Amino acid sequence: MKEKILQILADLRAYAIGKGIEATFFYHEEDSYLMRFANSAISLNTNEHLIRLEITAYEGRKRASYALITDLGKLEEMKQGIDIAGEMVKHAQPLNYDPTIPVYTETFVDEGGFDPALASLSNEERLAYFNRLAGNLETNDVKLGGIFSSGSNIVAAANTRSEHSIYIKTSDAQVTAVLSHAKLKWEVIAEQSAWQKSDLTPEALHDDLAFLLERYQNDAPQQIPLGRYDIVFGPAATGDLISFMNWIGFSGGALKRGFSCLKEEQVGQKVFSDKFTLLDEPARLETFPSKIDLMGIKRSTFPLIENGVFKGFTWYQDDADEFGAQPTGHTVMHKSLWLKPGDFPAATLRELIEQPRDNDILYIPYLHYMNLVNPSKGVVTASSRFGALLLKKDGSIVVPYNVRVTQSLFDIFGDKVAWMSKAETVNNTSSSYGARNPTSVILPTFIRVNDLEISHSNSSY
Amino acid sequence: MLKDLKQQIERLRAAGATYVDARWYPYEESNALTMWNGNLKDASSSRESGVGIRVLYKGAWGFSASSDVSNPTGLFDKAFDNARISAERVTFPIRLAEKDALQATFNSPTKIDPFVVSLSDKISFLKEMDEKLNQPGVLQRVGELIFMRKQIVFVDSEGSEIEKNIVEVFPGIMVMGVDEQGVSHQRSFSPGRIADTRGWETIDRGIFLENAERIVREMKEVLVADECPKEDRSVILLPGIMFLQTHETIGHALELDRILGYELAYAGGSFVTLDDFGKLRYGSPKLTARADATLTNTPGSFGYDDDGVPAQDNLLIDKGILVGAITGRQMVEEANARAKKQIFKGSSGANRATAFYRVPIERMTNINIDPGEDGTLDDIVKSTERGIILDGTKSWSIGSNREQFHFATDIGWLVEDGKIQQVVKNSTYKGDTLKFYNSLSAVGDKSTWQVEYVNNCGKGQPNQIMQLGHGVPVCRFDNVRIGE
Ligand SMILES: [Zn+2]
Repeated sequence: MKEKILQILADLRAYAIGKGIEATFFYHEEDSYLMRFANSAISLNTNEHLIRLEITAYEGRKRASYALITDLGKLEEMKQGIDIAGEMVKHAQPLNYDPTIPVYTETFVDEGGFDPALASLSNEERLAYFNRLAGNLETNDVKLGGIFSSGSNIVAAANTRSEHSIYIKTSDAQVTAVLSHAKLKWEVIAEQSAWQKSDLTPEALHDDLAFLLERYQNDAPQQIPLGRYDIVFGPAATGDLISFMNWIGFSGGALKRGFSCLKEEQVGQKVFSDKFTLLDEPARLETFPSKIDLMGIKRSTFPLIENGVFKGFTWYQDDADEFGAQPTGHTVMHKSLWLKPGDFPAATLRELIEQPRDNDILYIPYLHYMNLVNPSKGVVTASSRFGALLLKKDGSIVVPYNVRVTQSLFDIFGDKVAWMSKAETVNNTSSSYGARNPTSVILPTFIRVNDLEISHSNSSY
Repeated sequence: MLKDLKQQIERLRAAGATYVDARWYPYEESNALTMWNGNLKDASSSRESGVGIRVLYKGAWGFSASSDVSNPTGLFDKAFDNARISAERVTFPIRLAEKDALQATFNSPTKIDPFVVSLSDKISFLKEMDEKLNQPGVLQRVGELIFMRKQIVFVDSEGSEIEKNIVEVFPGIMVMGVDEQGVSHQRSFSPGRIADTRGWETIDRGIFLENAERIVREMKEVLVADECPKEDRSVILLPGIMFLQTHETIGHALELDRILGYELAYAGGSFVTLDDFGKLRYGSPKLTARADATLTNTPGSFGYDDDGVPAQDNLLIDKGILVGAITGRQMVEEANARAKKQIFKGSSGANRATAFYRVPIERMTNINIDPGEDGTLDDIVKSTERGIILDGTKSWSIGSNREQFHFATDIGWLVEDGKIQQVVKNSTYKGDTLKFYNSLSAVGDKSTWQVEYVNNCGKGQPNQIMQLGHGVPVCRFDNVRIGE
């Protein structure tokens, strides 16, 4: 398959050169399987195999692109795509900068993040996994929901200036399991991310769900008072916060356009807690990494924040071209974010609860529907969901209705950070919009932040 | 092709499938152009074609899709196999509400197909807007044109055969500036429904130039404005934010699949229960909301849904009382069975898929609020003692059961004793859905009513982006927390 794809890219390149069209080719192939559960049934079982080809044609400073969903057997259709892009670019308008077309110095093939066993999971295996994680937890009222999404992804690139090409293949799985009460409306969640089949451990999800279920079945939920709380965020909540930080914080292009919460003068300054070290680490296979970017720049560890100090912006090639910056190897579909762990000794919710505590702690595993209230100041808002718990100082536990947090990322990850756990969790942050792009963030399983305001507290679900 | 599909449908029926349908997209095309600070950053087109197969077997769905239609037998078999596995975990065997078998066609009302307009003409429009927006104080200026065109052929095992030819046009402009504290502020303009057709002809330069002037002026006012106060006030929502309020806290809350728990693992549920229909006081008696897929010329009007059910105009909230939902054939049957009474009389025709490779789910059509009897915007302002007028969709975040929300807007105008006072920046408001709609104290007349378009509503797993509309008047709500 790899040879065939590289050959097609070579054929397209030759065709474009023959036609006198300067072009880049971006090839994306996904084999996607999704089993969806709702109300304890399989509500959808679907698969799709899609090949997308994006052709960008250049004429000096002019640029235009044409994308199609196609098949390996349709070389003529792909060539027509080159003709269309070549025609479009004639009528485009020149940019006020020179767009870079990379020259790849060698053919780069990486299949290190591909596990054939994960990519070829069967329907039966997906169902068996869910049956095992659900164990005996479902009842007439407690219903199982969730997804088992798995598949493989090939990203390949070539262009008329390079004899060489890029080919990266990964496999991935994302599991979300939710138990919800049909009448009382509470819901609890357990999640798993995998790049290889051996990462899949349904027993771990079963334990998490069983533990939460016990709390929720025995304790009536309460509306908790507004005010300031010491909050422990679980991995899904932290994963979302870090994804938002990545979105509005580190991009040089966003900075130049006035959308960044980090400013140029903050490079080299302490902006977060000294416990906070965030890397782009393509060596971690759990992040479905690209070890080379689409410009052919090899990618290695890139510190974003080191002990709270902002190390510098990342540049997408087109932004670097427009604003005259040095590219940093970040013309990729996603970064490989790794928030380094701390030393707090709680690896599971059970262990967190068993730790002695000096204050009430609000545990928020998941933040729902996060959005940017004020991107320049890093202010985000979201509501808790899926099994929040108020761990009282006296050892008792209250089940709260959902609450809203509206806070600046600088407050959340600033000097109020009390500790981060030693244990790590891989939080799968993939969205299933458009082309498959498996993404995850490696995080301390728990992060405690003191004295954060809860601005809205629900009186029901 | 059509013959092949029909043969395959018959074959699976004979093999034990209770229902089969195929959605064949001979083509789906898009064209997007973005001009950013004078640079044509994006000039792209795309084309795809393929077929999606849905099979119901022993009360469970299987789905499969491919752009390769050379082996229909393999594709239909895969969908059938997927259904067989699904049938191993069934709790409520799926049945489909009755419908008529239709042979029909729907065409978006279009005078000038945007795909025959030259790239040069499109770029010249963007350049004209860019020049108009290029004024002192404007740091970023963006003009965008998005066009879509698709043909969908639907056939099912009940004898329906429906062809749809759909055209969508989404233009927009935006400006952004930065205030003295380094905080960015935006204003934008995207026209909703301005005529009975929706081709290239609806991109009216005059309307755009007028609004370009306005958004630059308003953005500059925001840059030097005071902060929005943190207090309780009446909020007067202009259609430019009221449409999103409606979308998030009426539209999504009333999707029947959410109410029945089919989105609990991701998008969320709804605070609404089956017991609430016909009883729940959703809002004040001034609130009447409807799902109207018959309104001419909006992306929420599509002739026939992807179950093959005709577009309809249904009441959702009647003078404050909840009476209807956004439904498809599967969910109404399950809801009626679970409620042990007939809440829903057949599908409301709102099951749609975003592409051939996605399965249809309950989607909003045009979720509208009827105009009221409280006059013009001026009349509403005059009768407001202490309020704030809000416009623009800066941020939105909604509780998982749509029970509460937080919105940030692009601009706010304080109102004191019936008069508009100064502009404020960083305006936000939040509330609990039912309390909020029950505080609805004024609904503007037809002069305030506008149809706004949404081109990117996301829902489902795998995720689906959908286009739809909202016809809404100016609305005033009392005692709402702002500035938080
Ligand atoms: Zn939506």
